[in-house]
Amino acid sequence: MAAAAATTVVALLSPFHPPPGSSRQTSKPIVVFTSLHAWRSLPPLRRLVASPRFGIVHCSSSGDNSSAASDNSGFCIIEGPETLQDFVQMQLQEIQDNIRSRRNKIFLLMEEVRRLRIQQRIKSAECSGDSCEDNEMPDIPSTIPFLPHMTPKTLRQLYLTSFSFAFGIIVFGGLLAPTLELKLGLGGTSYEDFIRNMHLPLQLSQVDPIVASFSGGAVGVISALMLLEANNVEQQEKKRCKYCHGTGYLVCARCSASGVFLSIESISIPDGCSGPLQPPTTQRCTNCSGTGKVMCPTCLCTGMAMASEHDPRIDPFD
Amino acid sequence: MSGSVVWVVSPKETSRRSSGFNQFAGVKRRCWRSSSAGWSCARSASTARRSVSASLVVTPPPRSSEELVYDVVLRQAALVGEARRKRAVEAPPAPLRGDLLDAAYERCGEVCAEYAKTFYLGTMLMTPERRRAIWAIYVWCRRTDELVDGPNASHITPTALDRWSNRLEDLFAGRPYDMYDAALSDTVSKFPVDMQPFKDMTEGMRMDLRKSRYNNFDELYLYCYYVAGTVGLMSVPVMGIAPDSKASTASVYSAALALGIANQLTNILRDVGEDSRRGRVYLPQDELAQAGLSDDDVLEGRVTGKWRTFMKGQITRARMFFDEAEKGIYELNSASRWPVLASLLLYRQILDAIEANDYNNFTKRAYVGKAKKLASLPLAYAKALIVGPSKFAGTLLQF
Repeated sequence: MAAAAATTVVALLSPFHPPPGSSRQTSKPIVVFTSLHAWRSLPPLRRLVASPRFGIVHCSSSGDNSSAASDNSGFCIIEGPETLQDFVQMQLQEIQDNIRSRRNKIFLLMEEVRRLRIQQRIKSAECSGDSCEDNEMPDIPSTIPFLPHMTPKTLRQLYLTSFSFAFGIIVFGGLLAPTLELKLGLGGTSYEDFIRNMHLPLQLSQVDPIVASFSGGAVGVISALMLLEANNVEQQEKKRCKYCHGTGYLVCARCSASGVFLSIESISIPDGCSGPLQPPTTQRCTNCSGTGKVMCPTCLCTGMAMASEHDPRIDPFD
Repeated sequence: MSGSVVWVVSPKETSRRSSGFNQFAGVKRRCWRSSSAGWSCARSASTARRSVSASLVVTPPPRSSEELVYDVVLRQAALVGEARRKRAVEAPPAPLRGDLLDAAYERCGEVCAEYAKTFYLGTMLMTPERRRAIWAIYVWCRRTDELVDGPNASHITPTALDRWSNRLEDLFAGRPYDMYDAALSDTVSKFPVDMQPFKDMTEGMRMDLRKSRYNNFDELYLYCYYVAGTVGLMSVPVMGIAPDSKASTASVYSAALALGIANQLTNILRDVGEDSRRGRVYLPQDELAQAGLSDDDVLEGRVTGKWRTFMKGQITRARMFFDEAEKGIYELNSASRWPVLASLLLYRQILDAIEANDYNNFTKRAYVGKAKKLASLPLAYAKALIVGPSKFAGTLLQF
């Protein structure tokens, strides 16, 4: 059964048809990440080895040729005018099978990463005694401007502070201020006198205290919410890729975002012949396959300034 | 001032890169070439060539970096005249639709403002056409840098760089791939910008993946050319040479090159501490040895009398490059002199700041305050206005 599974997977994994013009069918599967123990039955295929220490990825083939020329058929993460042609010869069913098998692999690989991380945590705790800071945990940025990053502990502090402030203000406004006869006007002048002195419309002095406090509270809440939202947007924007503004795509220059371009061969500029001009035909843009947009090479279609494996790749149809 | 070296490329070592943008694309790169001939002051290459021919591994004849780079300068200068004649004949490239092109340039400006604020303010001193062109060039350089040094750099293979190179060639031929390529494509169709500096910058990135130390100034010079000198060569066609200038085109390009080199050297001298903490030393090893210092002294980061003497020499050399560059600025178009001069003055002040820090570039950051920066602007304006292009041919650089 393992052998059958292996052959099925191998069959699913031969996607890369040779470039047009070459008649020989070579099975050159792409991007098989080295799996530790999950698929030992899989024959060693072209492997993509990530070496984080060096910061670059080598395309190495374990088989026949390991010359630099083999890099040409290796997977290349950024797009060029001929990228999308790589898969054009595959049949629909084949494409669906490929997509499904790759998504399966991603699913299983994420599980492997999780298990490895557990081991990593255990081993590093053994070595270094105290638990090292796990910097994979996302830092919760605060939505209140000027506040440092939040953790559950500081959240409690925030609750305490906020409640005591609110209580204090209620006590002050309701009990202390009338006792102290705190007035708006300087030198103890009344509110009405103050309004008159400032030459403001007189109906301001007739405002009912309940209405006044309600309005004041409402204004406070509204402006606070507005500030919070603005701060939040700013935070999210920082994470956005600046080149594509978070869309993951850039306008295709070949077709000027229309998806089609004029076929130049059909336009002839006669030097003297009197034949009628052929109407120019449009054909689907080869750069972007008709979508009008191409991959942003900085964020690799994730839209985030720092792309990780968790960030989904945005489809161009959205 | 040239030395002969034998290039022995050792690709086995790779190391994590880090970069910083100084002038708009002065990116830190690492070039590893071990030379078997040391620093020599002899101009004649023939004698040196004979002595190193035994260890000659790579077949191109050994010439100093400065000579190789000067060849590029001459070629670029020659192309300027050629390009003018060619453009009249060639059909215009297929452009992005008009309003989309404007939007693309707008975005280039946004990216520039986001990542290089002082530089962006400097571009505000230029004419609108030139400003857009410089933005487009900046964005290409920045994107190329992010490919190999950005957050997703671990996924970039040599194939990816090849593809990026192909896209560069396509955009020069009028077939840009995406909107930023289209902006650059439009720029190179309007100004006589040559492709060679762009290719050299990509080559610098490629080489950067396998670098660690610099044995002599020659190697460092080549590195500075790849990451910063190319930028100077890219921007001279945009800035334009004054029509009444008698200086040769090649000399103006040389001055631009010198400005790039000067900027990069300043960057290096300012960030010695930061780089050493990452295990990188951008100072020529032989000069360190001559001053009685070693790599370990640099990595340790103690300011001694020897260090001060060494730094004085390095700063003097950087200042010399600035002076060379300044002469060429006056040959530029009158509208372009102010922004370029301003950037030169601003960057030169960093050297003063290093001196003011008592040559402690390990722990202190040589910082030029906002007030000083703003004060340089009127000074640059006055200089740009008063000093004009040279009236005599050949008064610039003797090479």
